[in-house]
Amino acid sequence: MWKSYASFSIGCIALAGQMLAQGGPTSANGFSAPSAQPAQANVAAPTGGIFESSSFLEMANRVFDPTSDSMDFENGSFNWKGKTFNLTEQRAFRSRFERFLLASPTREEEEYALLMADILERLSVSNNNTDDAILDTWELLFRASAFDIDGGNSTIVANQVFNAWRIRKESRGVALSQRELEDIRKYQQEVVANRAFIADKIQQQRIRESSASRGGNSDSASSSGGGEDSLTSEAAFRVLDLAETEAKILALESNAAATGLQAKLQFQSQIVSFMLQRRFEHALVLSGFYQWLFKGSHQQLEVGKSQLAEFLPGSDLAYTVDSMSFVSREAVNDVNKGVEAVNAAYAEGRTMLALERLQEVFFLGEFLTELNKIPVEQRRYMLDLYRSLIEAGDLADAKDYSGVGIMAEKISEMAEDFPTMRVLSGLETAKSMSDMAVFAASQYRNIGQIDKAREELKQAIDIWPSNPAIREFQMETTKLATAGSQGIQVFDDLFERNDRRAIYERRMELGFALSDDVQRKPLLMAVVEEVARIDLLVKQSEELVKQGEAYAAWELLVEASTIDGSDGPMNQARAELAPRVADFVLQIDRADRQSTQGHVAGALAAYLAAQDVYPASRLAREGITREADALIEGIVLTD
Amino acid sequence: MPLYRPESSCIPHRYLSLICLSLSSFLFVACGKNSFSSLEPLPVSTYLAKPGDFLGNTYLLTAQIDSQIKWEEGVGRILAVVVEGSSSRIPVFVSDAGGKNLHVGQRYEMRANILEGGLIYVEELRKF
Repeated sequence: MWKSYASFSIGCIALAGQMLAQGGPTSANGFSAPSAQPAQANVAAPTGGIFESSSFLEMANRVFDPTSDSMDFENGSFNWKGKTFNLTEQRAFRSRFERFLLASPTREEEEYALLMADILERLSVSNNNTDDAILDTWELLFRASAFDIDGGNSTIVANQVFNAWRIRKESRGVALSQRELEDIRKYQQEVVANRAFIADKIQQQRIRESSASRGGNSDSASSSGGGEDSLTSEAAFRVLDLAETEAKILALESNAAATGLQAKLQFQSQIVSFMLQRRFEHALVLSGFYQWLFKGSHQQLEVGKSQLAEFLPGSDLAYTVDSMSFVSREAVNDVNKGVEAVNAAYAEGRTMLALERLQEVFFLGEFLTELNKIPVEQRRYMLDLYRSLIEAGDLADAKDYSGVGIMAEKISEMAEDFPTMRVLSGLETAKSMSDMAVFAASQYRNIGQIDKAREELKQAIDIWPSNPAIREFQMETTKLATAGSQGIQVFDDLFERNDRRAIYERRMELGFALSDDVQRKPLLMAVVEEVARIDLLVKQSEELVKQGEAYAAWELLVEASTIDGSDGPMNQARAELAPRVADFVLQIDRADRQSTQGHVAGALAAYLAAQDVYPASRLAREGITREADALIEGIVLTD
Repeated sequence: MPLYRPESSCIPHRYLSLICLSLSSFLFVACGKNSFSSLEPLPVSTYLAKPGDFLGNTYLLTAQIDSQIKWEEGVGRILAVVVEGSSSRIPVFVSDAGGKNLHVGQRYEMRANILEGGLIYVEELRKF
């Protein structure tokens, strides 16, 4: 609505400018801006208007933004003790937060809290950690997952544990096969070793026989050589069997290692995932199971390193399951302390502070039952405050300053620690800047500088679109544009009658009408300057009368009368003041009369008498100087 | 008892010359003072109201110099004086020949003519 209104106002100025261009009979030149009109001298362009507007909006955004400083919706991050969580979209967070403020703690949530506390207690290293006890604890996870508040996360924990157990069982089967293969390998090694031993013995026997019967039958030698070859071939096959068995053992070992690693990685991945989702209790439960399922040397985290690097920026520590447990436990403790802080701040009437801290606590402990320690009535009150702050922020964004002021008052009644004065002060400053821009626009319009008037009006609308002064400006502009068409005739009539005061009083419409009239415009400006000067002197005179300086006031009126002796307000002021300064006026008038009659010495004597009445008189001082000069000059001429 | 009448012839010549000298001196002084004493004092208030009515007249001003308004070398000076019996200041002109070393605060008897324009022209002045 305000946009169309603003465009209408600017359009009005443009229309007025067009009328001027078409209506003037001597519109050869444009309005000469450099003419130093008094009106222009008063124009104080609000150069800081836009700055002021933006600074108010920044202030309003800070004051009316109910979110905590640690929550950065632009970057989507929530910073807690150097750890950075991914923050959801602002509207989604608001809806969840409002849902929390509307919700009431239930009996079911209390039971769930007790059950989770029990599970964590059972997983503690100080408790019974036999396989049966661990199995009992594992079964409790299915009870926990039955609660709505759990969101099925306990089932995920249970599945992870079960998966680990299954992998372990498979590993046992692999270990059995591996032992059998190792037995075979042992047998095969023995066979290969025996074959090699026999072949060696045969070789040595043959060497001995050949040395004893040199030159013997080569055929027999060749036949006995065939038996040695058969032995060697069998050994080679046995070696191949052995190698095959070795390969199978290695494959089983690799398979077992891969299966174990997979289980570990799945576990670690889920722990990191729970923590980043702020499911701190489930992260603790899963960590507890991990520590009982895997060896101490397997605590180093192998997964989620990039996510953890974002979660713990600037940290080069080695991430372990223990460190994740520590962070989760610290978060739970911090939520407890945060809830206590919120309740304490609320009890002390620091409601704004309580609301800010509550949001931090809520985001961190959204899935923890510790938040139920915040009373229902307190939640409702904070919901009202939260909604009011959001509404005030929306009004500030829309630059509805009246609405912002009303909301600020309302919020200040709800929260004693709300900075009401800062808001109201900012509002007044922004309103003043808009008013100044409208005023400047009026001044520019009155002297015919339409472009500058348009700029100022735009600035005024930017700062405060609903400024009532903008509507007044628009109505005035419309009126002037209408009256401007008859201005030339009006000016001529008044100027002919020498009614300068009437010209001055209609200066705005006449200014519009004569803005392109090179002949009349200088006359108009001269009249406006003269009457403005008379008005200034009359005003100064009134001030001096108030201060008891009647003679000085009279002198100002005498000065004003030299500009235009027929000016009504000036003569009225003189008539009112004359009885109070009669003795002085008598001598001044006498001096004037004597001077007019050529009685220079008489005039000088009268000025001296006037100076006796009012020693500081400028009129008397100047008259004495003037008449003395004339007197001396007359004597010289006579001589 | 017969009255004693001194014989004029009895007066010695030396006394006669002394008497003549004294008489001449008295006459000289009396005639000199006569140029001021025969003058009327200026009616200041009337002069201020209508200076044109006094043109051509000569008056005695017994006045104290209040201030010097203007001095023109070779011409003279315009002084503001307070006339005895009046609280008003009036301007008088003293030519350079008519008076030298006039100071503010000095008191003078002045013989003044009222000239064109109501100018009070001091012809002669003396301290008193």
